[in-house]
Amino acid sequence: MNSIFASVAGWGVNVAIAFTALRTNLMRSILTTLGVMIGVFSVILAVAVGNGAQVSVTQQIATLGSNMAIVVPQPDSGSGPPRPNDRGRLTERDGQAILRQVSGVRAVAPQIRNSVQLVTPGRSATTQATGATPEYGNISNVNASEGRFLTKSDVGSAARVAVIGQTVSDKLFGGDSPVGQTIRVNRVPFTVVGLLESKGSNLGTDNDDQIVVPITTLRQRLLTTPTQGPDDVTLLFVGFEDEDSLLAGQKEIKRLLRDRYRVQKGKINPFTVRTTTEIAETTSQVTQIFQAVLVAIASISLLVGGIGIMNIMLVSVTERTREIGLRMALGARRSDIRNQFLVEAAVLCIIGGAIGLLLAVLAATIFQKVADFPAPVGIDTALFSIAFSAVIGLLFGGYPAVRASRLSPIEALRSE
Amino acid sequence: MTMTVPLIDTHDLVKNYEIGGETVHAVNHVSLSVERGEFVAIMGASGSGKSTFMNMIGCLDVPTSGTLLLDGIDTKSLDSDQLAEIRNRKIGFVFQQFNLLARTSALDNVAVPLIYSGIGYTDRRQRAQLKLEAMGLGNRLENTPAKLSGGQQQRVAIARALVTDPLMLLADEPTGALDTQTSLDIMGIFQKLNDDGITLVVVTHEPDIAEYAARRIVFRDGKIIEDEPVKSRRRAEHHE
Ligand SMILES: Nc1ncnc2c1ncn2[C@@H]1O[C@H](COP(=O)(O)OP(=O)(O)O)[C@@H](O)[C@H]1O
Ligand SMILES: [Mg+2]
Repeated sequence: MNSIFASVAGWGVNVAIAFTALRTNLMRSILTTLGVMIGVFSVILAVAVGNGAQVSVTQQIATLGSNMAIVVPQPDSGSGPPRPNDRGRLTERDGQAILRQVSGVRAVAPQIRNSVQLVTPGRSATTQATGATPEYGNISNVNASEGRFLTKSDVGSAARVAVIGQTVSDKLFGGDSPVGQTIRVNRVPFTVVGLLESKGSNLGTDNDDQIVVPITTLRQRLLTTPTQGPDDVTLLFVGFEDEDSLLAGQKEIKRLLRDRYRVQKGKINPFTVRTTTEIAETTSQVTQIFQAVLVAIASISLLVGGIGIMNIMLVSVTERTREIGLRMALGARRSDIRNQFLVEAAVLCIIGGAIGLLLAVLAATIFQKVADFPAPVGIDTALFSIAFSAVIGLLFGGYPAVRASRLSPIEALRSE
Repeated sequence: MTMTVPLIDTHDLVKNYEIGGETVHAVNHVSLSVERGEFVAIMGASGSGKSTFMNMIGCLDVPTSGTLLLDGIDTKSLDSDQLAEIRNRKIGFVFQQFNLLARTSALDNVAVPLIYSGIGYTDRRQRAQLKLEAMGLGNRLENTPAKLSGGQQQRVAIARALVTDPLMLLADEPTGALDTQTSLDIMGIFQKLNDDGITLVVVTHEPDIAEYAARRIVFRDGKIIEDEPVKSRRRAEHHE
């Protein structure tokens, strides 16, 4: 088989010739390599940051729980603009109705959220209090890693108990176990009964910076802004058996709530129902677009680097026309000459690509540490970038290389 | 007796250049045969077409018309790869300006043609070393051209021309850049190579240099005007 790359001279020879040539014009080679290096660096970093956003979003959604619908008292204007006159409402009774009447519902967890001030002897912190029921635990995968989670009787008796996040615990108790301790929440003494399992942080949001208290207690003692009704909630988590019932359930919830709030045909819902699947899809679409834009911008610098390669290879061919003629006189075929310059361009690019990759890994690591944002550079990205820079070399080195190989031996030999 | 074909055989070889609408007849219907083992000197005034003729028989340039047979092969039917192979295997070139690769050792310079014969690294260096030693440069293997005298550089170039064991050596004014004594040394080397059987075609414009050859051809205006054996042939004394 005669491949288009076949030539008499081996690749090793061409690499050796390339290194000699590159060393001869060291400064020029370095500057040319720099272009590719920056290009590869930015492309890899863009891919890594995009991947990181994707990972973050996936994690965020995973911490939310799966097969879940979230109902919030926000008017759902659909695609149209929100209208300030539409006010939303949502109550615990709505939640009970959903649990009774919508099929496939496993549990409903109502929540009220309110910002609170925490005080222990000598220390204080501000955090978010989530008023919840035990269902929150099993729908959203929230468990106590130490002590216990909320129970039915905590809610029933509006007990002054709290399950606190790791961040809060660290702030108030340092390394000590918080279970059994007393904290003042908005001046009201609460007993810490459990420590929440750590969920880390995503996109700058610390999932461990919160406390969970019984919804009844929060409503009676911690609410700072009055609600419209006695059992208004900030949101409802509706857990479904499986994905199929989630899809059907979303429609049923809407129908049920429209009935309950007597929404007339054509009017806007005073509530919004989103499923975790929807949220995952939209956010992953957004991050994909984000990544595509990043990579597109970064690719421009790689393109510029490639043009730099082409430019310098054209100069190199012109400078070495006599050498090309000599090599032809000594028996080099056109393919030998072409490959010699292709390899030279590829070597430039691969060196640039490798350094760019190294710097990108370094930058991603620093980014991860400083900005607390995952930017994973996988082995596949690494291999791809090296291969890609070689392709850039072949692509942009191709024209100069072919031009060199088309020279007539005697014309080349006679040039000065 | 076996029939032997001439090594170089041209019939009505023509090379024209078009310059500003005018045609220059650089080589004008030249027919010439050179047998294996001959030592030919080509002479003639500057611009008489010597180099153009040499370039064509060396397959570096393409004739405008006429035929060129090398070792019996009609070069017109060959593609660029096949011509490259002939240049590599059958022909060794020696240039006036040596044409060595700068910043490259004598050994690596001599090994270049073997790259294009597909010979491996170790083998290349071994063969190159042998040829350099034969040229008396065994102690100069790693020197770059800048570290060598003109005569030494031309001997490196001759070693390079010989490294693929070609049938013929084509040298266009090989002594043009050398002093008299060094020129005579080079001609001595050529004579010795010729004694060993290699065919030589050497262009020179110096009559005494031409006397080292066995046959003298004179060009004028792109045509051969003289072609006869050298009467009082000079022999270089071999000191070895
Ligand atoms: N590439 C070229 N383009 C145009 N004219 C050329 C070219 N090469 C040679 N000639 C012309 O052809 C003639 C023969 O040149 P050349 O073979 O170099 O002569 P010599 O080697 O005998 O001095 C000269 O008139 C020269 O000007
Ligand atoms: Mg000439």
